[in-house]
Amino acid sequence: MSITDRINLRQDRRQWIKTSAGLIGASVVPLPAVASPAVQEKPEGTMEPVPKPGAGAPKSAGRFFTPAQHAYVEELSETIVPADSHSGGAKAAKVADYIDQRLRESQDEEEKAMWHEGMRLVDLMSKHFHGKSFVESSSDERIEVLKVLSDNYNMRELPEVRFFQALKHMTTQGYYTSKIGIHDELEYKGNRILQEYVGCDDPTPPSNG
Amino acid sequence: MSLPIIMTESKGDSTEAVDLTKTYDAVVIGSGAAGGMACHVLTSKGMKVLLLEAGKKLDIEQELRSMEWPYDNAHRGSLPADQHALTFNEYTIRRPPYGPGFEKSKQLHSYIGNTDYTKNICVEERENPYTGTNYAWVRARCLGGKTNIWGRLALRLSDFDFKAKDRDGFGENWPISYSDLSPYYDKVDLYLGITGVKENLSHLPDSIFQRPTKLNCAEVTLKNSLQKMGRTLTQYRAGVTSDGLKHNKYRSRCYGRGACERKGGCDIHAAFDSPTGLIYPARDTGNLTLRTNSIAREIAVDPATGKATGVHFVDAVTKKDYSAKAKVVIVAASTLESARLLLLSKSKMHPNGIGNSSGHVGHNFCEHIMGPGVHGRAKNLVGKPPTLDDGRPGGFYLTRFRNLKDKHQKFIRGYGFEGGGGCAMFPHGTDNPGFGAGFKEEIRKNQGAYIGMGAFGEVLARYENYVDLDPMVKDKWGIPSLRFHYKFGENEHAMAEDMAVTAQEMFDDAGFQIVHVSKRVLTEGWSIHELGTARMGDDPKESVLNQFEQSHDVKNLFVVDGSAFVNASCQNPTWTIMSLCWRSCDYLADEMKKGNL
Repeated sequence: MSITDRINLRQDRRQWIKTSAGLIGASVVPLPAVASPAVQEKPEGTMEPVPKPGAGAPKSAGRFFTPAQHAYVEELSETIVPADSHSGGAKAAKVADYIDQRLRESQDEEEKAMWHEGMRLVDLMSKHFHGKSFVESSSDERIEVLKVLSDNYNMRELPEVRFFQALKHMTTQGYYTSKIGIHDELEYKGNRILQEYVGCDDPTPPSNG
Repeated sequence: MSLPIIMTESKGDSTEAVDLTKTYDAVVIGSGAAGGMACHVLTSKGMKVLLLEAGKKLDIEQELRSMEWPYDNAHRGSLPADQHALTFNEYTIRRPPYGPGFEKSKQLHSYIGNTDYTKNICVEERENPYTGTNYAWVRARCLGGKTNIWGRLALRLSDFDFKAKDRDGFGENWPISYSDLSPYYDKVDLYLGITGVKENLSHLPDSIFQRPTKLNCAEVTLKNSLQKMGRTLTQYRAGVTSDGLKHNKYRSRCYGRGACERKGGCDIHAAFDSPTGLIYPARDTGNLTLRTNSIAREIAVDPATGKATGVHFVDAVTKKDYSAKAKVVIVAASTLESARLLLLSKSKMHPNGIGNSSGHVGHNFCEHIMGPGVHGRAKNLVGKPPTLDDGRPGGFYLTRFRNLKDKHQKFIRGYGFEGGGGCAMFPHGTDNPGFGAGFKEEIRKNQGAYIGMGAFGEVLARYENYVDLDPMVKDKWGIPSLRFHYKFGENEHAMAEDMAVTAQEMFDDAGFQIVHVSKRVLTEGWSIHELGTARMGDDPKESVLNQFEQSHDVKNLFVVDGSAFVNASCQNPTWTIMSLCWRSCDYLADEMKKGNL
């Protein structure tokens, strides 16, 4: 049994979010969902700026993520679509580059803020459960953290769940449109000139065919 | 092997040097399936035709890129992030006009403009607002119109449709029978090419088919299962030439490259599109003059006789006004734009809009309801090595089975299903629950086992479903916008419920593992099959056009697109639009010779 199996996300998230507020101090504005569960959470874009993972690190020119954030997104996406004996995973397919491009070209400030906020909240969960950041965790530990969000996929009111949905969507989009995804993983046979479509070689063809 | 070289452009492609001083035999408004067909038929008879297209002349080959790999595309085939295409959710919770609220997006598209291959074919929504009830109105302003993005399912109608009133008492019969149109369906089949398999069904007549594509194994399983129920699943009848067309140098035969799901058209034009199928050949006769960026704003009328004398139009780029003169005016601007143009053409002789003495212009607006469907897995194909399943223009069509012999208790008319299965470039299952190694393996192992289908059902042509002109809102060129008064009714909702039930039953019976049954009805307009706003009929009080799509009121005015339909049937309309148009243009040319126009 995993330590994350009996989580009630809506209630228990206060534990790790409170801890973080205590640690970081008074400069952090309490998260709306913590202040009062009855209060509807504000859209992500209206939230106070939060310390970003890797903040202060040099930002690569023209990139959305800092190098540290990029490494973090690589591990997040790899946890969604990992390498296995059949083919490479999201990291090898450079899915983090794809996500960076989508976000830096996006005009949607709320979407951008949601990624930063979601990454912060996932790291808080990781520290709460395992005492270390997501990047520092083992792959089993990473799975444990994201499983909490995956198991509560319909709690769209929680920013970390919305983040997980976006992460999964962008990771699968990026992965299955990559060379590794199309050719190595799926071994896609099409997109070539075909003299004749073979169709079904079922020995029992339709009687009126 | 390499593909044959295709002439993708006809010679002398200058649209600037258009002589507007002379009187053309005919002016055609709109260059889609209907307008293209009118140009083909009339120029082949030696008539001098001016074709006005509201949209730009796109370098369509640059847009289509049918064999581009996603990873070679700057945005993996998606819309760039600074553009937006409306979603089902936005069509549902917002009201038209849909422009406000998307100021951050550089361009705003209808839902079909959500790929890098379709974004320039569709109109900018904010330049072309409409008001009223919710409606997903897809418009393509460019040479060829929506034939650049059509789904290619090319079906005939039958007397079950033309004489539907005789069967259930609802609405009106068409002023023609299948026997009137059948020779013209044949002409369209032979001139444009269609692939399919003969089934000898009275409710879905066969075409003159070229070499058929084949079903894959999951589809064969479903077909065999349905046969036991007396239902017919047949190969997708695609308006695609599988053998090639000796008389057309602009189009190649289909080579099964599989990008048909990309929504943008086919870059070797094996799939029919109006420019290569109809307009370029028409220009090669020397009888066609084309002007793009020409937005018709009013049909000009002789105040003495009430007859049409030509078209007033505005240049989309310069916004300058022009007029073109012609002996006959042929409106083919698409069902809703054609109704709009008739309503805009008010004069002393035609106070409610030209050709509208009946008051039926804009009314009897109908289409196809869609959304309900099912997808699942053929269990015997799970875990099999990947197969090539998309090397063909489509999967299958499951023909109508309701209200043919029996009478359904809850609704009249019927629906059919479009479907397909197997491996695709982008896999099914990325929205499965979970993540990680198991999630990834599940997608891989199930990819070839996928099979799915969605229904298209007849929306009844009702007088109370209509469009009119908005008294306030205008488009970018100052032309009054359309206002929608259009909702699905009880019959459609009852039919939609039945679609989901039968879809599930048929998949169960075939032994498929059902992954999802969709009961959700998509926004009005989603099928892009809008029809009926200037219907044909024998009674000038109850219809706008006669059986030759000629205005009852104005002898030299023809409306040859989907607006002429009397009902929607449940079959996709493009092939019928073109067959009717061919028949009407034959009549038009004869009448002109006789001096009757």
